Amino acid sequence: MGMVKEFFSGVYNLALGLVTTAKYLPKRAVTIQYPKVKMQMFERSRGTVVLLSDPETGELNCNACLLCQKACPVAAITIKQAKDAGTKKRYPEKFEINMMICCYCGLCEEACNFNAIKLTGKYEFATPDKDSLIFDKDKLQEIGRDVKYEAKKKREPKKDAVPVKKAEPASPTPVSAEPEKAVEVKAADPVDNSGQIDIKGTNQ
Amino acid sequence: MSTLEIEKTQAQDEFIINVGPQHPSTHGVLRLILRMKGEFIKDLKPDVGFLHRAIEKIAENRTYAQFMPFTDRIDYCASMPCNLAWVTAVEKLAKIEVPERAQYLRVIMTELNRIASHLIWLGTMSLDLGAFTPFLYAFRERERILDLFEMTCGQRLTYNYMRIGGVSQEPPQEFYPKCKEFTQYFRKKVDDYEALLTYNPIFLSRTKDVAILPIDVGLNYGASGPTLRASGHDWDLRKIHPYSSYDKFDFKAPLGTKGDVWDRYIVRIQEMRQCCNIVDQAVEGLPEGPIKAKVPAVFKPKGEVFARIEAPRGEMGYYIIADGTTKPYRVKIRTASFAHVQLLKYLAVDWKIADLVAIFGSLDIVLPEVDR
Amino acid sequence: MTLELKGLLDWVYTIVSGIVASLGLPEIIRDVALMLLVIAALIGFLMIMALFLIWWERKVSAHIQDRLGPMMTGWHGWIQTVADALKLLQKEDIVVGTADRKVHFWAPVVVFTACLAAFAVIPFGKGLIPTDINIGILYIFAITSFTVISLLMAGWGSNNKFALLGGMRTAAQIISYEVPLTLSVMGVILMAGTLSMVGFVESQGPYFWKWYIWPQLAGFAIYITAATAELNRTPFDLPEAEQELVAGFNIEYSGMKFAMFFLAEFLNMFMVAAVATTLFLGGWQPPLPGLAFVPSYIWFLGKSLFLVFVIMWFKWTYPRLRVDHLMGFAWKVLLPLAFLNIFLTALGVYIF
Repeated sequence: MGMVKEFFSGVYNLALGLVTTAKYLPKRAVTIQYPKVKMQMFERSRGTVVLLSDPETGELNCNACLLCQKACPVAAITIKQAKDAGTKKRYPEKFEINMMICCYCGLCEEACNFNAIKLTGKYEFATPDKDSLIFDKDKLQEIGRDVKYEAKKKREPKKDAVPVKKAEPASPTPVSAEPEKAVEVKAADPVDNSGQIDIKGTNQ
Repeated sequence: MSTLEIEKTQAQDEFIINVGPQHPSTHGVLRLILRMKGEFIKDLKPDVGFLHRAIEKIAENRTYAQFMPFTDRIDYCASMPCNLAWVTAVEKLAKIEVPERAQYLRVIMTELNRIASHLIWLGTMSLDLGAFTPFLYAFRERERILDLFEMTCGQRLTYNYMRIGGVSQEPPQEFYPKCKEFTQYFRKKVDDYEALLTYNPIFLSRTKDVAILPIDVGLNYGASGPTLRASGHDWDLRKIHPYSSYDKFDFKAPLGTKGDVWDRYIVRIQEMRQCCNIVDQAVEGLPEGPIKAKVPAVFKPKGEVFARIEAPRGEMGYYIIADGTTKPYRVKIRTASFAHVQLLKYLAVDWKIADLVAIFGSLDIVLPEVDR
Repeated sequence: MTLELKGLLDWVYTIVSGIVASLGLPEIIRDVALMLLVIAALIGFLMIMALFLIWWERKVSAHIQDRLGPMMTGWHGWIQTVADALKLLQKEDIVVGTADRKVHFWAPVVVFTACLAAFAVIPFGKGLIPTDINIGILYIFAITSFTVISLLMAGWGSNNKFALLGGMRTAAQIISYEVPLTLSVMGVILMAGTLSMVGFVESQGPYFWKWYIWPQLAGFAIYITAATAELNRTPFDLPEAEQELVAGFNIEYSGMKFAMFFLAEFLNMFMVAAVATTLFLGGWQPPLPGLAFVPSYIWFLGKSLFLVFVIMWFKWTYPRLRVDHLMGFAWKVLLPLAFLNIFLTALGVYIF
């Protein structure tokens, strides 16, 4: 009797398994076909590091305080300080991040007090050339041009700021940094395109 | 490492097989040297160290806050508990009081990560046993958890979310309703996995009464977590030495009866459901307040401390010797998988090689934890 | 006007006999020419079927697993198999130096030939059976036993002890499951009273409740289970999956030879489904006579593809059986059930 019961229970459970997998046949698959369709990254996504520039003057926000270099746990950031002869302001002469070493932890962004460095949601930087993965100052500034950020500490623009030319992309990267315009899948938060600094309560 | 030790005792009709460091079992780079007689395993020797990254040595040259990203990578399947273990140890060392809201947030993140880690276990174990489908279902559920994490801290696998004294960021407003949505959705999915596997006669024949682990043997080898609870020993650090306000939540630590592979499986499945309960309670009862205590910017603790938490795979402990400078003198990480690798020899001898896959899957060993 | 192919076949017959008569050749040339045409058509159809089935498997498995499968090559990836076949064709054929070359070469040939030869007695539709011998089902079971020889040849010829072990284990599995396989169709043979394939189809009544699956449900279940084991598919594919730890019999094969093993597995799957359709589901007959405007070969293909789908469904749902459980299952569960089935069927045929 026990054997018969076991037999029928076995058959029932086998059938239950079949029903469970068959439930998914008529449903639409959850796959998103990259690169035809790209997911929209979340606001706080930690992808590539960028250097932020002032939206009005176009200058780098960074004043080479070396806090991010000290905070980085893997020593991916290399900064060389210099003083601008005219305005006596400290600025980074060399700012390199070795993206092959960077672990995308975000400690540099936390350490910075000047809205100078940020991790964004950009991720399409694969390249067959290893040297191009050491991002120098120009590349970092270029990929950070369209990144919106909220001010951690208000910076008053200097009154005698020289109107600065937009930096040309001088770095020899063979790969374009901008992802192609593609169909967005996630419903986006309303993006503020008016050029103002977007203040939203994210980084506390 | 040579196979000579195993070869010394080789009899005439036995042969040595190397289950090489790379194999499709997706558990990582572990080398097992087996001495086999026909189908049966007579002796087993694990060869570890292929994923050794010297994390404990690196800790001696990083400050306490800078070491956080490295703790993520000790067990990248369950990154939040590793973070939690480190901050618990450092806070115990420096006697820092963590605000309650931060404790609740830590609990939410740790339990969500426990579900994610158990989903990886479920997927890989059923893949090893030949059921290809639960693997993909588990990873589909994992995507939703990883989306929740990405919404909060920006990363999907190695979060660097906790800080000494609290957590780094407040989750966004849409996190809490999405959490509730996830737990409701997930409970139904666990029923799916159970329908596919738990009482399936083929699964039962592979896992019932295979490799029973008695409690005393498990304790002697240092087993912990679901592996030990499946044998019937009621030892869950969240209940016995509650940390980070776990005593405020009402949940069960599932116990097994016999300690065979099936029990280890069912304990983890039930644990996934209990994690949903904890997350729901934590989201409901989240108190207001700061998310991070004030910690001096130049942090120089002194003393020795050992602190342990209940990671998804077992007990994870940190032993820190601090000498009054900004960097620790020595950090020793005790991980559960390292102890469980020793269990393989006891459990797998006199079973067939097909059972070895089931046993290995049920112990839930991940190599980054073993090798650090 | 029906879409049956009988008219086409008669037309081809008249053309060929016309050509042969006008060239003044003896009648046997006409028969040989017709036979060659039929074989060419059959092989062409089967090759397309194999390619289709591989694509079908990938899509079915993908949708069960909530993903998409091949999508980039053609509409939903239908050219994917052609691309894979072309890739395999241009691969280098590596043979291990110490291998037994003749045995190693002939193993995939044997398996492929056996698989194709079994299709000679499958009734694809009304009047569409290549040859209706009166011991059809016996011929099929005899021919499919060739796979055992080819697996042993593959394991031996590779000169690899693990391939040999894998091959021997697979051979043991196939031999043990042939017994319940053959016994499970005995019930149908008793009820139909004939061994010929066309006889099976015609003895199942014009209505679907007269098909043999209803009185022979146990026989059908045993047949599908034993056939899945014959095909070495999950839940019975431990000898193959053991490749992760030991080796399978086809570990030393590369390129087109491997492709032949692979294609033979899918064609065998189709053959098993076709035989099950003929024996249990009424072959090319429509469920109700009123639906006869749909041609018979469409019914046959539809039913066979449904059974193929069921076999694939099993693969993607269940875990694997361990080797000793597998053998125990064949000898201790399926065999007694098959005997019981024959006994009850014989009783039923005698009484009614």
